[in-house]
Amino acid sequence: MKSFCLAFAALALALPARAGKLEVVATTPDLGAIAREIGGDHITVADLAKPTEDPHFVDAKPSLVVKLNHADAVIEGGAELELGWLPALLDNARNSKLDTGKPGRILASEGLVLLEVPATLDRSRGDVHAAGNPHYMNDPLNGRVVAEHLCNAFSQLDPASAAYFRANLKKFEEQLDAKLAQWQALLAPYKGRDVVSYHNYWPYFAQRFGLKMELFLEPKPGIPPTPAHLAEVITKMKADNVRVIVVQPYQNRKTAETVAGHTDALVLDFPSFPAAGQTYAEWMDGLVKSLVKAFEARKQVN
Amino acid sequence: MNEAFEVMKWPLIACLLLPGLLVYLGLHIVRREIIFVDLALAQVAALGSALGIVCGYDPMTWQSYVLSLGFTLVGAAVFTLTRTHDHRVPQEALIGIVYVVAAAAGILVLNNHAEGNEELRRSLIGDVLLVSPRQVLRTFILYVAIGAMHFIFRKQFLLISFEPERAEASGMSIRWWDFFFYAMFGWAVTSFVQIGGVLLVFTYLIVPAVCANFLARRLSALLAVGWAIATVGSVVALYASFKMDYPTGSAVVCVLGLCLILSILVCKLRGSPHRVNEPPGH
Repeated sequence: MKSFCLAFAALALALPARAGKLEVVATTPDLGAIAREIGGDHITVADLAKPTEDPHFVDAKPSLVVKLNHADAVIEGGAELELGWLPALLDNARNSKLDTGKPGRILASEGLVLLEVPATLDRSRGDVHAAGNPHYMNDPLNGRVVAEHLCNAFSQLDPASAAYFRANLKKFEEQLDAKLAQWQALLAPYKGRDVVSYHNYWPYFAQRFGLKMELFLEPKPGIPPTPAHLAEVITKMKADNVRVIVVQPYQNRKTAETVAGHTDALVLDFPSFPAAGQTYAEWMDGLVKSLVKAFEARKQVN
Repeated sequence: MNEAFEVMKWPLIACLLLPGLLVYLGLHIVRREIIFVDLALAQVAALGSALGIVCGYDPMTWQSYVLSLGFTLVGAAVFTLTRTHDHRVPQEALIGIVYVVAAAAGILVLNNHAEGNEELRRSLIGDVLLVSPRQVLRTFILYVAIGAMHFIFRKQFLLISFEPERAEASGMSIRWWDFFFYAMFGWAVTSFVQIGGVLLVFTYLIVPAVCANFLARRLSALLAVGWAIATVGSVVALYASFKMDYPTGSAVVCVLGLCLILSILVCKLRGSPHRVNEPPGH
């Protein structure tokens, strides 16, 4: 009888949580992809930014307000990434569950060590973020930390599913660890290689895989390329024999192609986020493999 | 439906309250045949707030507002002085020049600034979806004040816009009244650009006024038709924006564009062509 009562109590506790799935909104698709893997079918996840959109600037549309209005939780990248658009959307969504400090406000960057924290803050140096470079999700180990953080946050919001989230986290971590070993082996031959990028988006990726991504087509973060700066980049690329330029979907590919034309470099599409339906590991896998292929292609020419 | 209202409440209030004055000013602008003066003044205002950004003032602060207002008044002065009867250099040409130069100068000013592109885009298409209640109320109070001015001095304003020859003959100081008109007009435009962007302010000023000129002749009728079109168009556009998840400002612009096509069709079907240039009440 006692065990029956316990089972009944457990069921009663579990029911309200299960009846309405936890509704989670992620600001960017990389956070959304990890949330989907951890939350499985116990939560629903909606992304705000499209995979092809610039995460610094997301166009306000009615559906974004509606998503935030319904949400039980919002996951934000933080480090000022969404500063230009999320606060106004949240104001209009009027959802007290997402107020700062509430368990429904999940700050993914919490507990991570960010790169490039400026010593002094000066807007003349471009779009520099006070908290450091906010594009930390392109280091798989940061993705791993965020996954654990999400697991804890979801468990707090839906304690009945905690064990389920924990199991998903374990699966995610095991897969990612195995993959990371593969990726590192694939990129090991190219240690120290230079890669040019349009925006300073990939320092975490470069650090993890021993690459150098310190040449940018933008003269300062967020400032469109100028002719003088591009000429400088071309000179440096020729001097150091840099042959790969990566561009993200919302960036001007033409600029990269012009520079590539002068330097015989390869222009590589580097998606900033997992595409719809892609997992975090699949996205990272695509980045690593396309980069390896580009390095190989340019080796043959030399 | 309830949810649509919840999300679109303040954009809707903004799009119902604020175009009231804009439609009326638009009738003046259409009659004066200086259609693009609002685009030019709006762009000059945007140049002011671009300069503000470079000086470290965010677009929503009062410093930025004062700067863009100051620039608008300078623009108003320029347009007052260039209202000429010299047909070799039509005023429209000067207005166009002010527009492109202000736009290009804005690009130069923001060239070295991180949020430059975004800011230029925002001044063009605005963010009427995310308008704040405070902003709507503040702008509404300003519009009531400007509307009151126009009501008090309606005789003078209507005369200089609709019958400039008679105004000249009556010996009134056209230059000063013109400046007064442009200054208040610029203030109204600047305030709305902060909410809805350059495209939306142009649309609210010109499209209902032009539609009205296709459908009516007397000033009171023109106003009634213009207001009706602005109101119906806004409601339809906001609902469509919500239902189909389109950016709100651009949806309003396109729906009002459709209203113009409808007005032209109605006008043709009635077989009574109204010439836009005919003075009202004849």
